[in-house]
This record gives sequence, structure tokens and C-alpha cells, in this order.
Amino acid sequence: MTENIHLGEKAIDPEVAQGEGGEGGPRSLVSLLAYGFIVALLGLLAWGLIRVQRGPVDSGMAPDFTLTTFDGETITLSELRGQVVIINFWASWCPPCREEAPYLEQTWRKYKDQGVVFIGVDYVDTEEEALAYIAEFDITYYNGPDLGTRISQAYNIQGVPETYYVAKNGELRGVKIGPLQPPELDNKIDELLAEPYTPEEPSQ
Amino acid sequence: MLTDVGLLALVLAFVLGVYATLASYYGGRTNQDTWVESARNAAILTFPLLTISVFAVVYALYALDFSLAYVADVSSRAMSPFLRVTALWGGQQGSVLFWAWLMSGFVMVVLLRKWERDRELMPYVIAVAMLTTAFFIGVVVFITNPFTRMWHFPGAAELTMAIFQPAGAMPYIPEDGSGLNPLLRHFGMIGHPPTTYLGFTGFVIPYAFAIAALITGKSSGDEWIRATRRWTLVAWIFLSIGLVLGGRWAYDVLGWGGFWGWDPVENAMLMPWLTGTAFLHSVMMTEKRGMLKKWNMVLIILTYSLALFGTFITRTGVISSVHAFSKTALGPAFFGFIGLTFLGSLSLLFARWDTLKSDHQLESFLSREAAFLLQNMLFLAITFAVFWGTVFPLISELVTGTKITVGPPYFKRVTGPLFAALVLLMGIAPLFAWRKQAVRKLGKAIWVPFAASLVLSGVWGYAHRMHPAVYPALWLVTFVVLAILMEFWKGVRARIRGRGESPWVAFQKLIGRNRRRYGGYIIHLGVVMIALGFIGDAYLKSETQGTLQLGESLQIGEYSLRFDSLDYYPGSDGREVLEATTSLFKNGELVTQLNPRRDYFVVQQQPVTIPGVYSTAAGDVYALLVGWEEIGFQSSTFKIYINPLIGWTWLGGLVMILGTLIAAWSPSRDREGATYTLKPRQASLSYLAGD
Repeated sequence: MTENIHLGEKAIDPEVAQGEGGEGGPRSLVSLLAYGFIVALLGLLAWGLIRVQRGPVDSGMAPDFTLTTFDGETITLSELRGQVVIINFWASWCPPCREEAPYLEQTWRKYKDQGVVFIGVDYVDTEEEALAYIAEFDITYYNGPDLGTRISQAYNIQGVPETYYVAKNGELRGVKIGPLQPPELDNKIDELLAEPYTPEEPSQ
Repeated sequence: MLTDVGLLALVLAFVLGVYATLASYYGGRTNQDTWVESARNAAILTFPLLTISVFAVVYALYALDFSLAYVADVSSRAMSPFLRVTALWGGQQGSVLFWAWLMSGFVMVVLLRKWERDRELMPYVIAVAMLTTAFFIGVVVFITNPFTRMWHFPGAAELTMAIFQPAGAMPYIPEDGSGLNPLLRHFGMIGHPPTTYLGFTGFVIPYAFAIAALITGKSSGDEWIRATRRWTLVAWIFLSIGLVLGGRWAYDVLGWGGFWGWDPVENAMLMPWLTGTAFLHSVMMTEKRGMLKKWNMVLIILTYSLALFGTFITRTGVISSVHAFSKTALGPAFFGFIGLTFLGSLSLLFARWDTLKSDHQLESFLSREAAFLLQNMLFLAITFAVFWGTVFPLISELVTGTKITVGPPYFKRVTGPLFAALVLLMGIAPLFAWRKQAVRKLGKAIWVPFAASLVLSGVWGYAHRMHPAVYPALWLVTFVVLAILMEFWKGVRARIRGRGESPWVAFQKLIGRNRRRYGGYIIHLGVVMIALGFIGDAYLKSETQGTLQLGESLQIGEYSLRFDSLDYYPGSDGREVLEATTSLFKNGELVTQLNPRRDYFVVQQQPVTIPGVYSTAAGDVYALLVGWEEIGFQSSTFKIYINPLIGWTWLGGLVMILGTLIAAWSPSRDREGATYTLKPRQASLSYLAGD
């Protein structure tokens, strides 16, 4: 070590700023923290990896949910049998969502009288910004916040925007990850509308 | 068959990579040069073997050999030969092979050039670098092999993917491929992956040297830093170019009027850039004053780890992103490798902690040393903020069961002030003296740019008086630019006075004799330009949207856009183009014609929105065609953004490249050899140490 002789100045060890001790190795607390951090991070990544390898839910019966819209209406997916349901996960902070918003609204207006329901699920957002977004794009289909991210977890979404297609019988018929582009939504809706549907008899 | 040769070369490269790792480590441990020598040859040979493999894939892409699943996936008949070749990095299999190839290229060059000089470090440099390379080659061989073919079992509904023909299966060769994702057909996306990969893989060299220095206990010296300085700079500038190209691509193709969205994929790339930038600066302290050695080690390990971490989270989709990446079997293997790298580096670092003591201590908080320390802390703080925001959704979901994504507002609020502090430091720090700075002298050096910047930014801010918040930001960049220009002026003036040179000669010689310093200042100017783009984006942006009938106009600020016509025609590369012709007026005067487009790629069924952009130094007018009347083309919907100052971002990127070239350029021997020669073959060391 070089002796630091500097008149009247208090020497400052630059390494102190790192939070490490002067002599020998780092203090055991520091090394413990560093290892703890790395192990925790690896644990987190492992958990995320296991979760992501399950992939999004895109087949079988669509997980049921009840959404309270920003207007205070309550919609339950299982009560919409017989109609084609488009579930769109979005957020006001998500740029690609803005990209697809006009197309979604336009498609909704085109199909709304043909037995199609659009449900916008607002994911991790503030109500104020969400309402501004809805006003900006003049969105008229059902829209509500995903309180406690329950719906997005049921569908295991990977991000926003994501759009799930639900057939008349309540089965999932695919998912679009990323912004919708014309005319894919029209095509999908036409395809699902063409499916025959016989309502199940209420059990005796 | 060329593909078979490519596959064979790939497998051989993997075997050699594993062998080089083991042999060099064993040779280093037991001090047996023959093993190290043999490992070195194996490591060097890896590159030509991978080159054969890469060539085989490129040729298959070019020749449209659709028997390979990868070619069928990313190439198609409608694509131009150039695009077909760039499809090498258009999908995962090709990307990882390309990555491994670049990395082995770096390793080969470093082994060819540096072998005689740092014999002690070399075994472990080879071991570390080749372990990484072998891992990536292994991933290509076993997990995402580009030589995989498609097979069809009679009666089976789905195709089987396998490299060799399974018993009873028939080869399946489609007529045409699905072609490269249309969003990737842009110069930014063609250049972005190679530059990014060069940046990421390039950092393996300083990392390998750092780890080798730790293993051999030579970490108290700065040989490893001197040996890798230029490598670091090369890796860093490629990463920087990659970031700028990625931003440019997002701006041109994604059609939301911005260039940086704080998306996990972008953050993944930003984090190693931040720590790498800190490292580049921090090593100067070790070279000049023998200080901050622990910082350097921590920073290079962090940089490399973050590069791996970023690749991991983006390629496996662990953290949701608005970019859609395909899920693959890459995850578990990559996870194991990352765990090994993190824990191995950390335990090695702690084992050698006491070799990393500073030769000197910080004497004053007002000194060049303190400024370097502060900038390290700022970079680390920003990195941590970005890291936290990136992994937070995962943490929140684990802890509370609720996924909370922090959007761009978090990143802007937290990192904004830190970046501002960093930019300010960039202006002041070069004025600080080593050891201790007298306040009076500093005041004298600063007052001219300070006063001038107040006046200039006042005038400039007046032009944007609707947004008063922008004023401090404009002052900051003005001040820093003036402070940097003052440094140039002082240097030139000293030469003019002292040597009687003409201003131009003085300017050239000033830079020529101190390439690293003035190259650095030029890079700083580039950074300020990029900051300008961010300031415009944060404070001055405006947008509007409207549906126009033919001949109608949409007003935004002093501009108005008139819709003249909408045309439909078949374009190149299998697309159908819908192109609007619009006239842009500024204060009633026609300035230009803009042609926002919507290209529809028929095979992929994917539309791409291409903006019409009018760029000036003051900013861009960015018009998008977002909707149109299907019949008769009588009306269209446009979205217009005014993006002030954004052009400076791209210019700043170019200036950064220029500065880096100056800083990294090999000087001619007679002028200033000592400053740049890594470690001369015969020259005495004392000559170097005093530089």
C-alpha cells in the first residue's frame, strides 16, 4: 500500500464507496449479500422459466371470468355462449396496443350486430389513463380493468397486446400475440361465426 | 452435399471447443505448454470450421434449399438474394450459429495476435473464452440446429423434425418457404443483429482476460486491461451501433412515432451497454493511478453477465415483452450456463479480492479520480434501476401473485435525473485535474461555457416556450457541448501560440497526438446529440389523428398535411403496397410530398406500416397511414407525429462511431506508440508505465 501523505487532507478510500471492507477479502456480510442476490436472481429466473414453458392457454375451454366494466356493467364469459367472443388484453402504456386500437374498434362496429362480443381487459393500468385511452380511440365495446391480474393469469398472457378468440361454444380457438393487423381479426371472426352452434340443453 | 459438410464441420467445431477448454485448463494448471499449445490450435481451428458451417447455411438460404427446416422458415422465393443471405440471423437457429461464429472469430484473432505476450494469462483466456464458445456451439448442435430437416411419416398429420432420416419417414420439401418476417426487412434490422452480436460476443475477450487475471492472481496489475482495451472499445462501439440501429428500426417500422420504449428487450441490451461504458472509463483510473481495480473487475463481470442475462430473458420469454419471441428449448441449457457464469465469476472475484487494492487513495472529492468514481456509481445506479424495472413484473408476480409491469413512466422518472447528472458530469469532469482540483481554477474554466450556455439555451428555450420544463434540459446540453468545445479550443489555441501552427493544422495535430482523449470528447458530443433526441421525445412531442377526404387537410402545429391520392400496386418481395400521396405544408407553403404506406405481405399475411417522414434539424414530421376506405379510396385516416430534435439521435450515433474510430485507431509508430501499443514485444515495461 502506498502511504498517502497529503497535507491536511483527509484521505478517502475509493473502495469504501463500494461498501467493502479495507483489509483482506470482502466482509462476510457483503459476500453473503452478493451470493444471496445471485442465488435469489437465479431462483427467480428458474421460476420464470418453468412458468413460461407452460406457454399461454390457447386451447380447451376458455377460462371463465367476470369483468366489471369501467361503466359499471358486469359481464361473465360463460353467459355469452352462442356468441363469438374476442378478448383483448391491452394497456394505455403499451405502444403496440395503440397501433391496433383503431382496427379493433372498427371491427367491433362492423360485427356488433352479428352475434359477436368484444371484451377489452385493461391490464396493469390506472383508471384515469385507461379512460383517456378509451376516449382517444372512441372505444365502444366492453372494457374493464383486470383487478388483481386475475384474468390475465388465468390466460397466462405473455404481455400486451394479446387477443384470444372464443368460439360460440366457449372453446378457445387461438391467440394472437402482438398487435392485430387487418384483416386477420375479420377473417377469424368470419371463421368462428360460420361454425354451427346448438345450445346445450339445460340439464334436467 | 454442402449441408452435410456444414453439419460435420459444426460437430467437429464443438468437439474442438470442448477439447480446447479442457486442454488449456489442464495445461495451465500443470504448467505443460504442449497442452496449452494444442488447445490454442484447437481454438483457432474452431473458427474456420464454423465458417464452413455458416457458409453451408448461407448457401442453403441463397439457393433456397427448402429441405432444411430453417430455410423454409425464414427464406422464400420472393425474397431478394441479399435478403435471403441476411436471413442467416433472421431466425433463432441461424442467429445462435452466427453468434458462435462471431465469438470464435474474436477468439481466433486474439489468439493469433496475443499469444507471445501474455503467456501466463493465455491458458485461462482460452479456457474461459472457449468454454463460452463451446457452449454456444453445443446449443447449435443439440438444441437449435439449422441443419434440421423435415420428414413425413406416411399417414401422420404433422411433420417430424430431425437431422437424419428417421426409419420409415419420407423427406418433406415444401415448394416455397414462409420467408423472413416482413418487420425485419429493414436496414436497421439487417444491421442490428450483427452489430449487437459483435458487441455482446466481443465482451467475452475482456471478460476472459479478467477471469484469467483472477485465476492466475495477476489481477493486481493492469496487464489484462492494457491487453484488452481496444477489444473493449470495439465491443462497445458495436453494441452502441446496435442500440442506435435498433432504435432506428423501431422508429421506421413499428409505427408508433418513438424509438425507445423501455421494453425488456431494449433494456436487456441497454444494461450491458451501461456497465460497459462505465468499464471503459473506469479502466483509465487503473492505468493512470492504479485505482478502482475492484470496480473494473466488478464492471467487466457485470457487463458480460448482463449480456448473457439479456440474451436469456429475451430469447426464453421469461420476462414478458411486447416483442414476440418464439419459445424454445433453449431455456434450461442457458439457465445452467448463466448460473455457472454468475456464481463462478463471483467466487473467483471474492477469492482474489485482496489483490485488487488501490495503489493510491482518493485525495479530494474535487478531482478527476472522484469524478470517475461518481460516474461509475451513476452508471451502476441507472443499471440497477433498469434491472429492477425489468425484473419487477416477475418479482411482483412471485411475491404477491399479481403481475405488476412498470411502464415507461417508471424508467423515465427514475433514470431521467441520473442520466442528466451523467451528462453534466461529462461536461465538467474533463476539466478536473488529477489528484486535486482548485476551486478557483475550476470556476475560471467553467464560467465562460456556463454564461454562454445560459444565454444560448435561453434563446433556444424561448422557441419552445409552450413547454417550460424543457428549459433545464436544453441548458444542460448547451453547457456540456460548450464545455467540450472549449477543451478543443484551448488545445488548439495552445498549439497556435506555442508552435505557431495554423488553426487547422493545430486542430488536426491536437487530435492526432491525443487520439484517445479527443476521440473520447467526440464520442461525448455524439452522446449529447442522442440526449437531444431523448429530450425532444420526452418534452416536445405532439401528435394528431384524423380521417381525410381527398383534398382535405389535417393541421398539427405549423404544419398541415393534405391528402391527395391513395394508390394500390404490387411491390417487390411479394408485397402489395397501398400508398398515400400527401402534401406537407409549413405555414401554408408546400415543403414536400410524403408517402405513408401500408405494405401487405401476402404469404405471411402481415402488413407493415411505413411512415412518410420529413426530417429537418429541428425535428421530424412523421405521418402514418392507419386506415382507409376500401372502396374508391376516397378517404384515409392519418396519424401525424411531430418529433422535435429526433434526427440528432441518428447523427449522434454516427458521431460516436467517428469518435471511437479516432480513439481506437492504431497510431503510427513514430508518433505516440506508448499510448496505444498493447504490450510491445520487446519494449521495456517502464516505458509503458509512465505514459
